[in-house]
Order: sequence, then C-alpha cells, then structure tokens
Amino acid sequence: MSQFSTVQVPKTETIAIQVTAPNQVKLAGTITQKDPANDLAGFFKALHTAALADKLAEVRADVSGLTFVNSSAIRLFVDWATWVKNERGHRYTLRFVTSRNVTWQKTSFMALMSLAKEVLALEHVT
Amino acid sequence: MSRPGEGGVLNGRTLLRAVCTAGSGALEYTHAYISAYTADHFRGAVAQRLSVGAYELLSNALNFGSVSSDIVIELIESDNMVGVRVSNDAIAARISMLTEHLLKLKTNAEQTFLEELRRSVTGGIPRPMLGLARVSHEVGLTLDLHVQERRVSVTAQCRR
Repeated sequence: MSQFSTVQVPKTETIAIQVTAPNQVKLAGTITQKDPANDLAGFFKALHTAALADKLAEVRADVSGLTFVNSSAIRLFVDWATWVKNERGHRYTLRFVTSRNVTWQKTSFMALMSLAKEVLALEHVT
Repeated sequence: MSRPGEGGVLNGRTLLRAVCTAGSGALEYTHAYISAYTADHFRGAVAQRLSVGAYELLSNALNFGSVSSDIVIELIESDNMVGVRVSNDAIAARISMLTEHLLKLKTNAEQTFLEELRRSVTGGIPRPMLGLARVSHEVGLTLDLHVQERRVSVTAQCRR
C-alpha cells in the first residue's frame, strides 16, 4: 500500500492541499501566515519520508495554483529540496510543477534549481 | 537603492494609506486588503509584484521595527510609476543593517537572493533576509530608502 497517499493533509485556511497516489501533491491558494512551518514543515517531511518508503522515482509537487507565498514558505521548499539532496540511500526527483503566470514562481524555483539541481526538476504550465 | 534627491524617489498620489500596529493577524489582514486593492486597480503582473512588495516590506517593519511606533503602508502612483511604501521607526543598528542590505541588493540582486536562499538552508546569523531580496530580484521592484532620524521609509516601485 502506498504510504505517500496516506499522508495526513493539514487543515489550513488559505491553502487547498490534495495528495494523489502514487506520487503527486497539489497545493493551491496563498501562504501568508507568519510561520507556515507550523502547518507545512511536518507535512512536507511526512511526504518525503513516505516517498522514500515507497521507493518513488519521482514526486510531483504541483504549486502552480499557489498565487502568493511569503519568504518563510519559500524556505520550506528549500528545506524539502535539501532533504532529498542530503539523502544517502535511495533518492527521488522532486519535480515542481509551476505556472508561467505566477510571478514569484519563475525566479524562486529557478534559484532553487541552482542550489539542488541534481535532485530537482521543473515543469511549467500556463 | 537610491536616496531622496538621487532621482529614485516616488512622488505622486497616495491611493491608499493604512496604519498597522503589531499584533496577531496584522500582516495577513493588511496584506490581503492591499492585494485585493492592487488586483482591482492594476494589471495582473503589476498587481502580483506589488503584492509581494507590500507583504515583504510590511513583514520587515513588523519584525525589525520598533514596536512602540505605528507602521504606515501606502500605495502611491505617479504618471509612470506605482509603488508601495512602508514607514516605521527603528533603532540605529537596524537602520544600518537595512542600509547595508539594500546596497548589496543594488550591487547584485540575483547574487544576494541566492545567498539569502542558501542561508535559509544553513540558518545564518543574523537571520536570513530573503524578503527584500525577493522584492528586488524575484519581482523586480526598485527599492528606495529614506531615513529621517529614527523614521525609516522603504519604497518598492515599478512601471505601471
């Protein structure tokens, strides 16, 4: 049974989150709370742990519907990429699906790529 | 960063002015209001850029400013430009840190953005200042600093 798809989704006011087997998580809305780590850090870590347990080759994180995030939220994506990068055993590719129409996504994920290009992939949708 | 008198100051009509005091939800609610306003009054890309600028400038003021004074956020437009300006009181050490950071951004916004992103991973001291780097590099707003005694005003502006 897929552990990835059974990861508990946090309840947040401004973000809609959907986890789909075998390897997709979709986030939409805005992340403006001062410390989004309270809601999301544990969730991302659980997805990471489940992806390793499921021996997934790739995780698709669709953030194209996230119209605004604060810098604390960007740090959470950086953290996730770092966990994958630092993994010594099985590693998966973390593919961020981003939107060309959302300004913040263009630069942030390109910069993130430069920090962890060996484990990241970017896919653009309109 | 440019100082008043160097040609970078945004002078124009104030479209919106809000006074914000530190407290639960101050950042989120003020930002939501300003984002709704900009989405209503400006084309999509400009509205998105101003939204990031408003959030990060306000967040900086709330995190680094003196809690005893009001924080004022304004949306200002001239014939060609539009910007968001946040004013707050701060101690001299904070003003100095801000000035230095803005100079780094002016010199190389992309490099500074990457450095701050890296510092986010390692956890740096002082803590990472990704917010202004986002404003400058990610959404390409020009930052302008004005200091008068303890009162600091930072304006982030772009073409309309």
